[in-house]
Amino acid sequence: MTLPITLSMPSSERQPRILIVDDDGQIRHLLASFLRENGLDVALARDGVDMRAAMTGQGFDLIVLDLMLPGASGLDLCRELRRTSAVPVIMLTAKGDDTDRIVGLEVGADDYLAKPFNPRELLARIKAVLRRSGGVEPAVARQGFAFDSWRVDVLRRELINPEGVLVDVSGGEFDLLLAFLESPNRVLSRDWLLEAARNRTADVFDRSIDVLVSRLRRKIEQGADTAQAPKTEVIKTVRGAGYLFMPKVTRA
Amino acid sequence: MSGWLKRFGLDTLTNRTILLMLIGIGIVHIASLHAYQIALDREAAIASDARLADRVLTIKRAVMRVAPAEREPVAHELSGGPIEAHWSRTDHALPGGPGSAEWESLRTRMQELAPELTRSQIIIGANRKLESDPHLALISVQLPDDSWINVSVFSRLTPPASSHGTVLSTSLMALGVIGFAILLVRWMTRPLQTFAAAAQRLYKSSDQARVPEEGPREVRELAIAFNEMQARIKRLIDDRTHALAAVSHDLKTPITRLRLKTEGLKDASLAASVRADLSEMEEMLDQTLAFLRGERIDEDVRALDLAALVQTLVDDASDAGSDVSFPARPRLVLEGRPLALKRAIGNLIENALKYGERARITLTSDAGHALLVIDDDGPGIPDDQLERAFEPFQRLEQSRNRQTGGFGLGLTIAQTILTGHGGSIVLANREAGGLMVTVTMPLKATPT
Repeated sequence: MTLPITLSMPSSERQPRILIVDDDGQIRHLLASFLRENGLDVALARDGVDMRAAMTGQGFDLIVLDLMLPGASGLDLCRELRRTSAVPVIMLTAKGDDTDRIVGLEVGADDYLAKPFNPRELLARIKAVLRRSGGVEPAVARQGFAFDSWRVDVLRRELINPEGVLVDVSGGEFDLLLAFLESPNRVLSRDWLLEAARNRTADVFDRSIDVLVSRLRRKIEQGADTAQAPKTEVIKTVRGAGYLFMPKVTRA
Repeated sequence: MSGWLKRFGLDTLTNRTILLMLIGIGIVHIASLHAYQIALDREAAIASDARLADRVLTIKRAVMRVAPAEREPVAHELSGGPIEAHWSRTDHALPGGPGSAEWESLRTRMQELAPELTRSQIIIGANRKLESDPHLALISVQLPDDSWINVSVFSRLTPPASSHGTVLSTSLMALGVIGFAILLVRWMTRPLQTFAAAAQRLYKSSDQARVPEEGPREVRELAIAFNEMQARIKRLIDDRTHALAAVSHDLKTPITRLRLKTEGLKDASLAASVRADLSEMEEMLDQTLAFLRGERIDEDVRALDLAALVQTLVDDASDAGSDVSFPARPRLVLEGRPLALKRAIGNLIENALKYGERARITLTSDAGHALLVIDDDGPGIPDDQLERAFEPFQRLEQSRNRQTGGFGLGLTIAQTILTGHGGSIVLANREAGGLMVTVTMPLKATPT
């Protein structure tokens, strides 16, 4: 399936154009002024009708879409949007419910944030999604990975061991793992990994990559049956250079 | 009452029914046997009198027909069994005496059979010659020539004693009744077991556990009432949850607005403090929703590694600057709802850090169970309040101040989730001071 890519690449000269779709007037305007202060070009829409009208005039680099809207819901709008466009979408919802997140991601949203959100976190996610949509990977081909009989479900953000047991990882650990999975068998520097992990969420701020790597390593090494555990190191430390993800990675 | 009922195995409907039926059968049977025996005895007495009268008259007639010289030998010859007859010129029987009334029926009987005999020609009584005669009675019957036949009766002719057959048949009947009772009660109580199972299911899951509306009318009516009650309970819970979810949603919008407004505040410390308050409000909303949902979480049960889950929580806490220790350990697989378990154990760790300043966590396994122990160095909980700690909105610390936050749902939620997973949670004060929380969870059975 090829999508008509109407996405204009955010460049350093032009301010990224963001469309905010939310039925609460105050939130809409407060959010707009906050994002404008932080260097984004913001347009507003109250509901699906507004959104469609705004979309016909101009292209957007990203849409912030509220899940609970009068008329067509955020999910419906996202689904509709995905038929014609690959523009990145960040979904906002009032429910802290995991189901909503997964459904949102399944209909094609790029990220998800539960209300009440921290505005700075939204800003960080907008930036991360914009950077990601800058070309590293198309939004469609990110369902899952496999290595050494382990499976990684990107939508549900789950790491599953060879026996089908869920091994819990933190947000930062998962993002780090994704960075490794996208570039296996390559020596990755700490800075590169930090940058890659930050591109996904705002979670990895002050945590040192070394700590995250050792935590992830331990979970993979201790999370499987000793008989089935990989005998070799999964993540190898390359002295003075960074880290190397050893197993063969397949995309699912 | 229920104590001793249980001790004698009488707390099941089956056993009670069997016992009641046995007592009933026993009483009815003993009473009817008794009545039957009395009737039988009377019949036997009548039959015995008839036979005695018959024999005495037969002897009399036989003796009457032969010459006087032959009479004594004939009488002797006709004796036998409980009867001994002699012919003599005089009567030997002495009327009256103890027990003579009992023989009245015999006299009547004899007169019926031989109407030619007058009352004075039959004498029944003791032996006038021999007072100490062990015979029951002596019957003297006058012959037409004024001589007498004296018949000694050793005993009344009794029918053979009733055999053990009646006892056997009673026992067989009782056995049959027990068997029948077991089947009957099983059959009748099966709907009750279905109801119990359905009630359990209703408690555990959000699904309706309808019981089939079939069987006898009473059971059908109970099933209909049960299903209606169930629907009502579900509606009540749903309404309550929806109301709170709506409130929580409506509160989240103003909280989001306030969050955005703090970005405009010039005073950085004020902004930070307002944000902290907002986070606290948010946490309260989340906890309330979690409490209302209880185990009714829209989350699948799956195999998960408890060690990794605890490790993530510990790492997060230690990243937030808390003093928490957890010796890493290999995986420990159980079946559960990952987010719910994370919330439950997270609440426990948070409590330990909040009231006890530091948390020492260990995770071990023993006999198919995971054992999670969380120790803190806080003041503990007074022993008499340990149980109350699980009640919702129960805040044991009287002097609770803003720093400790929360509003008494953490432990309640944790307990609901853990017991919903077939686990348990126990609070205890450590001798060295501080609280020890012990969580036991069944491990996933390893396939063999």
